[in-house]
Amino acid sequence: MNETIVSYLGETLGLNFNWLGTLVIFLIASLILASFLALIGGLGTYAERKISADIQMRYGPNRVGPYGILQFLADGVKMLLKEDCIPRESDKFIFKLAPILCFAGVLASLAVLPLSSGFILSDLNVGIFYLLGVTSVVGVGIFLGGYSSNSKWAMLGGMRGASQIISYEVPVTLTILSVVMIAGGLSLNTLVGGQGAYPNGWYLFHNPFSFIGFFIYFIGSLAETNRAPFDLPEAESELVSGYHTEFSGMRFAFFALSEYIEVFVLCAIAAALFLGGYNVPFRLGGDGLLGQLFQLVVFFAKSFLLYYVVIWVRWTLPRMRVDHLMVLCWKYLTPIALFNLVGTAIWMYCFNGRSMYMILKHFLMASGQ
Amino acid sequence: MDVYLPTFLLIFIALVIVFGALIVSYLIRPSNPSLVKQTAYECGELPVGPAWANFNVRFYVIALVFIIFDVESALMFPVVAVYRHFLQLGSGGAVLLSLLVFIGVLIQGVIYCWRKGDLDWIKSYRTSSDVRAKGLK
Amino acid sequence: MFLVIIFSLSAFLAVAGALSVTFSKNLIHACVYLLFSLVGVAGLYLTLGAEFVAATQLVVYVGGVVVLLLFAIMLTGGTNLHHVTSRFGLESTPLMGNLRTYLMGVVTAVLLVVVLCNVLQGSMTGALVSENKFSSTVEQIGVKLLTDHILAFEISSVLLLGALVGAAIIARPHRSSESEN
Repeated sequence: MNETIVSYLGETLGLNFNWLGTLVIFLIASLILASFLALIGGLGTYAERKISADIQMRYGPNRVGPYGILQFLADGVKMLLKEDCIPRESDKFIFKLAPILCFAGVLASLAVLPLSSGFILSDLNVGIFYLLGVTSVVGVGIFLGGYSSNSKWAMLGGMRGASQIISYEVPVTLTILSVVMIAGGLSLNTLVGGQGAYPNGWYLFHNPFSFIGFFIYFIGSLAETNRAPFDLPEAESELVSGYHTEFSGMRFAFFALSEYIEVFVLCAIAAALFLGGYNVPFRLGGDGLLGQLFQLVVFFAKSFLLYYVVIWVRWTLPRMRVDHLMVLCWKYLTPIALFNLVGTAIWMYCFNGRSMYMILKHFLMASGQ
Repeated sequence: MDVYLPTFLLIFIALVIVFGALIVSYLIRPSNPSLVKQTAYECGELPVGPAWANFNVRFYVIALVFIIFDVESALMFPVVAVYRHFLQLGSGGAVLLSLLVFIGVLIQGVIYCWRKGDLDWIKSYRTSSDVRAKGLK
Repeated sequence: MFLVIIFSLSAFLAVAGALSVTFSKNLIHACVYLLFSLVGVAGLYLTLGAEFVAATQLVVYVGGVVVLLLFAIMLTGGTNLHHVTSRFGLESTPLMGNLRTYLMGVVTAVLLVVVLCNVLQGSMTGALVSENKFSSTVEQIGVKLLTDHILAFEISSVLLLGALVGAAIIARPHRSSESEN
């Protein structure tokens, strides 16, 4: 996208960009993407409150703006105006660093989101691997936030949160490995481009192992972002507020915002890896700007669908106990993910990498003659 | 080289947003520190002692096992990325075999940890009869 | 130009982080500075074009080793609670060594670098056939792992197994009193 946007702007404006011009263009593009996703994060808080209200048969926020849609702005202004209480016994340097680490980690993961075939901000060759690394930084930020508060609740929440995040990274990584095996590359454009537009081309239905793998990835990403039913590190009824008990005002706002953006990013990656990403049915719009717009719409539709499921799951299932959480990860999800990996390797070898649909089609065509 | 630039730019933007918001908040928020507000919150009780306590070793064991799996997956990423390429070349069987051997060795490690109880969050205390019967220690 | 920017940023991070680790008096602060230093090293790998190694550095070191170090500090820190002015009960670490230790360290480092460079120079002038079919380093590493270095790849899994078993044995609490009955 970098070459395309720089050359596209160069053609339309008739300028030749040196390094400073390219830097400015990238800066503007990154700013647009970051603010757009921060908007999605803010609207996510509103969406959560409205959907939870719907599930619980009550009205959600409906005062601020039409249907309460400006509620997140009101919340943001409230956070700005809160007094910043830093505990006296806290480690001030790390106390101030923890929200920055979380927020920076989440924003850095936006660089590889495959919004459409032309709109990836940075099409790294190691895209999905880079994403895994950056989401680990968020875990470190959570631990430091819990540690620096010098409060027993926060410390316990922070350590549980960090161990939960690193535990669930294992099945998630193994599932991503099996998808990479099917696709043949680590770059997100390769991963999405290898899928078709209709469900028979998605990696979800490629083979039974990736079907199971989607659910493992989904459960693992729920646990990675500390969403219910895995929200023990921020358990409201047990640990007051877990690792962000002592943070107030904007510092807490950055923890919450980074959590909501991270949920969206992981839903988007699930849509890209398993649900066909930005591929549009019937190839609407061709390859020009209109086609890119359609791809954007399809991508966001799939991501928002998964986001809705994430919110739905939160308000439906009870919280898991911490030892059940760990048992689920290490004794159920990790063996299943390893089995998926082996199964996918054997499937690729036996059927030469074809999906179930392709095998069925060949079989029917061969037997029809 | 400019494909890596958006990463650094996004981190820079994150820093700018965080510091900007904190500065704006600093300008417009009240500031009345008091002793009560600055002590750790413990539902009305006064906190006793430092927050650090002897944490259980199971956090450390989980982190160790995670590191092993992390390095294993980092080693497997290049291999699975070219698996398709080798399938088309015809030597898919050899690659499959080496991949299975790699994963098999690691599965043995997982089974070892599982049987020895390192993956349990709550240590189950085995009685002496269990120890004699199954030969565990 | 971007190469210069990325290189100077990463080099500054790596060196400043490393210096802060050695001169910091609080153990957890040292861990955080180590995190910055490792991110800087990942950036240095990027400037060399080794993007997979940079991503591995992020995933394994920043995501794994730093968390492990933090957990290890939480397990073992702060047994001296009589220190009146310490925070968290963690004693501040004293400055390590005197002039003699630093001198010995510098001499050893120089010796190691000289020996390593001579050894590596001899082994790297062999034929390096590059797979020009692949454009990214991940696939090139994959091909090399499966063709030239397949034995190393398999032995590394055995090494990881040994590490896992050894770590589990070391970290396991002793249950000697119960099994004696």
